[in-house]
Amino acid sequence: MNKVAVDFENSDIGSVFIYTHEAHPGENYPHLTSMDQKFRHAEALRDVYGVTRRILLDALNGACHRHFGSMPNMTWIFNRSGIPVYKSDWSDSHSVRNALEYYLEIPNRRKAGERLAPFHVERLDYRNQERELFYESLERNGPKAVAEFQKAFPSG
Amino acid sequence: MPDHTEIDLYNYDEFVPEKFERWMRFDDSPPVGKLVPDFPLWNLDRSTTSLKTEITKHAYTIVEFGSFT
Repeated sequence: MNKVAVDFENSDIGSVFIYTHEAHPGENYPHLTSMDQKFRHAEALRDVYGVTRRILLDALNGACHRHFGSMPNMTWIFNRSGIPVYKSDWSDSHSVRNALEYYLEIPNRRKAGERLAPFHVERLDYRNQERELFYESLERNGPKAVAEFQKAFPSG
Repeated sequence: MPDHTEIDLYNYDEFVPEKFERWMRFDDSPPVGKLVPDFPLWNLDRSTTSLKTEITKHAYTIVEFGSFT
């Protein structure tokens, strides 16, 4: 997702990361109890995972995150009017890139004389599950996070 | 002030279905094409901003939600 942000930054595309709650709390990164702790975890996300996009913190009660469905790693795209035009229950750079390329083509199509009107579409996209990286991240959170995930999803 | 029970429920302390499944609500999320309400957000330097401020700066804005864990 960092690369998508860089690749489109000169096309008037902004990109931010909203810090939510700990999906898999562990000994090293336990559940959040204060905004100070939330700031520390968000800084760790930047430093350990190398998130280069601006990181913004949601309120401790997750008001923003909960309004949008509170999935652990979802992505939305908004237009300049503040209207969501894309929503995805998981984050996938290929899907986001594909959507942006579509939206950036709209002005060209209008210039070419097409009369465009919005419509709704649903489709099933496919993401890379990156299981090894996921388990590495669980281990980074602490043994508790690994054990709880394995108990919740025994088949992995 | 937010209710502490709400804060505690949202920031669950263990990944067990009875604590995390209640938050998987994508089916109830707002539809695309409709304006959404504004929400306060904080920069890492502790300064305040808001969702509306951030998503109206560019032709399009990608918003990824997530956390360290």
